Amino acid sequence: MSSLAALTARELKAFWYSPVAYVVGALFLVLQGFVFWLLVAALNDPGTDPSFTIAQAFFGPTFFNSIAVLITVPFLTMRTFSEEKRTGTIEFLLTAPVRDSQVVLAKFLGAWLAYIALWSSTIVFFLFLRAFTPFDWAPVLTGYLGTWWLGGVLIAIGVLASSLTRNQVIAAFLCFVVILLLFSVGILDFFFRDPETSKLIGYLSLLDHLVDFSKGILDTRPLCYYASLTVLALFLTGRVIGHPRWRS
Amino acid sequence: MDPIPFSQPAIDVASLTKRYDAVTALADVSFQVQAGEIVGFLGPNGAGKTTTLRILTGMLAPTAGTVRIDGLDVTERPLEVRRRIGYLPEHVALYPELRVQEYLYYRASIKGVPGRARREHARDAMERCAVTDVARQLIGRLSKGYRQRVALADCLLARPPILILDEPTVGLDPHQIRQTRELIKALGRSATILLSTHILPEVEMLCHRVAIIDKGRIVAVDTPAQLGQRLRGTQIVRVELRLPAAPTANAMGVAQAGGDDTVIESALRELPGVARVTAQRREDLPAPSQADGGQARQAGGAAAFEVEADQQHDIREAIFRLAVERRWALRELSQQRASLEEVFIHLTTREDT
Repeated sequence: MSSLAALTARELKAFWYSPVAYVVGALFLVLQGFVFWLLVAALNDPGTDPSFTIAQAFFGPTFFNSIAVLITVPFLTMRTFSEEKRTGTIEFLLTAPVRDSQVVLAKFLGAWLAYIALWSSTIVFFLFLRAFTPFDWAPVLTGYLGTWWLGGVLIAIGVLASSLTRNQVIAAFLCFVVILLLFSVGILDFFFRDPETSKLIGYLSLLDHLVDFSKGILDTRPLCYYASLTVLALFLTGRVIGHPRWRS
Repeated sequence: MDPIPFSQPAIDVASLTKRYDAVTALADVSFQVQAGEIVGFLGPNGAGKTTTLRILTGMLAPTAGTVRIDGLDVTERPLEVRRRIGYLPEHVALYPELRVQEYLYYRASIKGVPGRARREHARDAMERCAVTDVARQLIGRLSKGYRQRVALADCLLARPPILILDEPTVGLDPHQIRQTRELIKALGRSATILLSTHILPEVEMLCHRVAIIDKGRIVAVDTPAQLGQRLRGTQIVRVELRLPAAPTANAMGVAQAGGDDTVIESALRELPGVARVTAQRREDLPAPSQADGGQARQAGGAAAFEVEADQQHDIREAIFRLAVERRWALRELSQQRASLEEVFIHLTTREDT
């Protein structure tokens, strides 16, 4: 357990020491700040449906929300394995008395915690808003929860992509494309008339679940779904790292 | 298969084979390292040294064969094995954004050194490897020599009983090479060391025994002194002779099929300075040409031998005189290189100091 903690701490430190993290973090906050301002302005418009809340607008599967996720995840995960493979530090890592599973989990936790920290810092926006107007905190909290758990899936996919190549650009782009395709699953709904198929697509679509979370509904089914996908991606990463062919 | 506790070697490599698709990187590599020994793993670049060491440390999986460290199988119990090994890879790659001390603390923690002992272990390792003066510097700013020594300090952190060092002196300046060798010698007093190198004098200076590898095969395992003797002391000559046709053979009374070879072989063996005579297989001989109408075969045939002799006598002239004397036809007489010598040609035998 203590080696997992040490490995994870090292991953977090890598973000702390790397200029990439600061650039991505700063730009993420600029983008989200602008989006938040835009949303509040739109909600202030008398023509807007009064039952629509700021949490729904901010955490729901909107264009801005998807973009923010889509561009931050690849930057957070691309270096995890690729960098170690390229520089050769992976040999020091994998010959230390730690399990492959610990290494994979630490890489994931490091990037995921960074992602969570990034999103959590947007709480400042809500605190500002609270100074001017009362609103319900519950959907905000479930909104964060849904975003974090969805982030887990995406970060795991990014770590898997990074384990496949020693080139960070390829890792980032691979992660980007896979996430984009997963986000597009919901669009398939347009091609099917059958209500059962629609339900299936609705369940499989990663983004559609954000609607519920942003309304304050805490459903364990999507959480289980997200968790299963995360575990699957991490399991595959472990296989990649442990496979003799990739170990050179 | 329970190992016997006292006689078991620290490193036991048995019939190790590693194949990448069509390429065989290691073929049936076997050797042992006893506890407390410093063994050199010597071979030209690309011979399979790094591949072997990577399998020993669990970085690569073998295609076939077993590796036991302190009696533990590397593939079955990788964690316990890695806990017993300090490994210095060929390419030293450390996190450049960390400070030396910070890096060593991190490595100590993932190597399972308990929290309170970490500081002390790191300080000891830094002192032994003479990197204490750069403890607070960023690794990325260090010279190659310092980085190499930080990696060596990393090896020592958990105080493992076995050290595996892949080309520990490569890329260092002469002064640093001397320091590193002194350090390895000192470490050898308390640990078992397997180190790879392509520099011959390094082995002579440091190692109790040497395993020589070439093209994925172990060519020899011996002490440096005896290897040198074997190398300087022998010459190998390939000779192909044919006994004259039946009448002469009859006169000598050894015409029966297959007998010719023995006659030649024993005659060769009696020459002064000959240590060994090995008959070559028939298939290796060229087929009888049209010109001699297959006479060679009919007459009992030619026979080829490899003759190993010490270098004080020039065995080639003696063989020639023998053939003339006995009226044998001399079809081939050529000097061969010993396989060991073949390897040594590709080794670095001198150092620019």
